[in-house]
Amino acid sequence: MHISEGVLSGPVLASGAVLAVAGIGLGLRRMSVDNTPKTAMLSAVFFVASLIHVPFGPSNVHLILNGLSGVLLGWTVFPALAVALFLQAVMFQFGGLTVLGVNTLIMALPGMIAYHIFHLMYGIVRRPGRVFGVAVVLGAMAVLLSGLLLTAALALGGRAFLGVAAGIVAAHVPVMIADGVVTGAAVLFILKVRPDLLVPSRWEPAA
Amino acid sequence: MSGILIALRNVTFGYEAARPVLRNAALEIRPGDRAALAGRNGAGKTTLLYLLVGLLRPQAGHVEAMGRTCRHEEDFVAVRRRVALLFQNSEDQLFCPTVLEDVAFGPLNLGQPPAEARQSAMDALAQLGMSDFAERVTHHLSVGEKKLVALATILSMKPSVLLLDEPTAGLDENAVERVIALLNGLDAAWLVISQDHDFLARVTSRRLTLADGAIHERRDPRS
Amino acid sequence: MSCLAFFAGRSPVHRLDPRVRLLSALGLAVAIALSERLVTLGWALGLTTLLAAAARLGLWTLTRRLLHLNAFMLFLWMVLPWSVPGRFARTVWGLSITEEGIRLALEITVKGNAIVLLFTALVATIDPPRLGCALKRLALPDKLVHLFMLVIRYTDVIHDEYGRLRHALKARAFQPRFSSHTLRAFGYLVGLLLVRSMERAERVLAAMKCRGFDGHFHALTGFGLRPSDLVFTGMALCHVGAWAWLELS
Repeated sequence: MHISEGVLSGPVLASGAVLAVAGIGLGLRRMSVDNTPKTAMLSAVFFVASLIHVPFGPSNVHLILNGLSGVLLGWTVFPALAVALFLQAVMFQFGGLTVLGVNTLIMALPGMIAYHIFHLMYGIVRRPGRVFGVAVVLGAMAVLLSGLLLTAALALGGRAFLGVAAGIVAAHVPVMIADGVVTGAAVLFILKVRPDLLVPSRWEPAA
Repeated sequence: MSGILIALRNVTFGYEAARPVLRNAALEIRPGDRAALAGRNGAGKTTLLYLLVGLLRPQAGHVEAMGRTCRHEEDFVAVRRRVALLFQNSEDQLFCPTVLEDVAFGPLNLGQPPAEARQSAMDALAQLGMSDFAERVTHHLSVGEKKLVALATILSMKPSVLLLDEPTAGLDENAVERVIALLNGLDAAWLVISQDHDFLARVTSRRLTLADGAIHERRDPRS
Repeated sequence: MSCLAFFAGRSPVHRLDPRVRLLSALGLAVAIALSERLVTLGWALGLTTLLAAAARLGLWTLTRRLLHLNAFMLFLWMVLPWSVPGRFARTVWGLSITEEGIRLALEITVKGNAIVLLFTALVATIDPPRLGCALKRLALPDKLVHLFMLVIRYTDVIHDEYGRLRHALKARAFQPRFSSHTLRAFGYLVGLLLVRSMERAERVLAAMKCRGFDGHFHALTGFGLRPSDLVFTGMALCHVGAWAWLELS
């Protein structure tokens, strides 16, 4: 999910950039040198996964998976998604340069929230079926939150974008469903195959 | 019906236009055919299998399956329901967390309800003597075990034609024997790529050689 | 990846120093983003079109890339003229549209296209490894540049792996639909890509350490400014100045 070039006002672009830089900075501080390859690899996977489209009616929807990236990356989701979004802009002309900060924030912040909720729940919920359920909800929630952040970014410009924003959020309902189930199944897969990769202590150095 | 299951008709294909892998190649597989496909490394054997199921499309010529000319994705969707491809690298074929889910994936795609798909999967695993593996995590299996699971994933679809790319690579002697016994008990045709000459002698009766972009035939490899 | 359509060209723009291109793109993009007068934006669109022409971007590829942006713009045109309050212009399909609404839609369309053309002409024409080096020379944090370099190195690898898995799904008669079967299959596919890539990351790290990696990323490519780079920078600055003057006057 991203905002195109040309839509947002200067103050919104600037605040987005400042907040994103802060998030990226914090993420980089939390990313030890040993974690760099892992973060890069996940960033690349999410870049590739965003190319997956699921048929929906006469059209199709693209996966976003910012909730799943958040769950696996923690704070490093900021630099990881910033790099992926920058590459998307370079390669596909999606999003762009001046909106990079806002777009990073829109994608990464819900990811961070999903990360905290998931690891809070992961300590309590143990059965795979329930972990799946939590992941489905978080995957869908991250898309919804991104939609709301996007709406907020548009509304903050003070211009008459509410109609546009409502349309965008409505268009993302199928994405929420798709992202939710895909996130759930992916987490279930990792849980069965390499559960240690879901545990953040292995991921982040004591900070 | 012409009695031909699947065929290549004057197919030309190359990854680069200057160096075609196949030039006007022709091939026919009829019911009961048990063919080996030989050729040097890089001759294009795997490419030929990909062309047969439409994962690659020829630059000239066409694929014919069950008496119908196949040119577009829709045509090949029907082909893939009856012509199964065992990939050279099982890692590329298996993507579910557990063995059972992976083996049931094909039957579900064929439209079987979950209970029936589960049964098809269990049957296929039993055929290979792998019933105990149903609940195992695929990622943790050995190379040979993965190969057998990959074979089960296509057997569960009960195909009419098997395209097998190195089916015995990584298998121990005992497993190879099981695969041989299984194949010889199947009512299907197959085309096998393998470097295992003993295996080929026991499961094939036709020998095709791919060289310089053309397919040559020699009957009965033992003579 | 085939989507890297623009950096392989040879044009005057491709010969400019990547740092100059990045900084000019950033400066001009910010100036355009902050502009609101149609005369400035029209000028900007003209300039960026010229740059795209100078970079010899394939017309067909470029059009296809702009299609995505302009599909969104079309959506804005369908909403904004009716929803922005202002002076009544005329009635279309029984709904009154306003001058302000049309002006806003026009402003955004011109602005968006100008910035994307600019970015495509100046930045998408830098091949990714050189882009990484340029980012390093522009004093971005070492870790971020290293992250960027690894991402561009492994995106292709993972994309190929994804392609092979999709092939294998196809070969087993898989046809994507909006169904739980499809979504679960994609979930497992993503899960498998994640696990494999995290295991690959462990091997990559081990290999890097074996070759004496100490956490610092060293750039091999050096850059040197040429007269044309300075001329280009000067021209970019002049434009930014002219636009600022237009906007503020």
